[in-house]
Amino acid sequence: MARDLLTDFELMILLAILRVGDEAYGVQIAREIEATGGRRVLLGAAYTALDRLERNGLVTSTLGAPSAVRGGRAKRYFRVTARGVRAVRNTQRALVALWRGVPQLKERRS
Amino acid sequence: MRTPPAPRLALTVLERFVPDNEALTGDLLEEFDARPSTVWFWVQVLAAIAAAWRTRGAEIRPLRLVDFQPADAAERTRHYGLRFPPVNLSPVAGMGGLGFMLLIGLMTRTMPAAWWLLLASALAGCVLGAVLIVLARPGGARMTEPGRIVPSGAPRMKGSV
Repeated sequence: MARDLLTDFELMILLAILRVGDEAYGVQIAREIEATGGRRVLLGAAYTALDRLERNGLVTSTLGAPSAVRGGRAKRYFRVTARGVRAVRNTQRALVALWRGVPQLKERRS
Repeated sequence: MRTPPAPRLALTVLERFVPDNEALTGDLLEEFDARPSTVWFWVQVLAAIAAAWRTRGAEIRPLRLVDFQPADAAERTRHYGLRFPPVNLSPVAGMGGLGFMLLIGLMTRTMPAAWWLLLASALAGCVLGAVLIVLARPGGARMTEPGRIVPSGAPRMKGSV
């Protein structure tokens, strides 16, 4: 089970891909993490993580059509696989289990 | 107002040190179009190179003749009309043609006997390749799993290749 757990950045990337949907490519993923997760993303670091996730079978990618604004370079669209969704669920479960029972993190009612 | 072009040097450096990643280059160009900052572009390029180098250390990088990956050859072929990928004729990854020539010169000068070793290895590789081709032919012996060779007359097991 431990092998299925993700790092915080990997988890953010997978969640961003799931949130963006079919149009998830590098720029969109980075923007989603910045807007929702409040974390600045370096595109090179994002691609390194995405390559690792693809090698581990958690995401798949396909090349789209090139465009002039991208200097004739194609977009690489990412999709989360069933294994990726399972890894997100496992990580969520593990984090929630760790969260529970920590007195310092209990919400105070005023 | 017209967007200034992306720094050419930064692009060259990126494509030299992070090859085979046109999606990243395209993403950076697209973002540069939205926020034209040369400093931002250089920061992204240097970070991408650093990230690529960190992961590259753990990889086994076999010698190759060109910066071209057969895995995405079909997808690249579709885009040939728009852009040709850069071709590096040096067989050593991460080293240009001039660097490779320097390596050859240095090797010839310091240890010329190493060329015989290189020749012997190349010949051994050719012989091994020929043997593997003969074994892989339908009439020849077949390999059922790595390291296990079955002669051509032996009966095939269910599910074997």
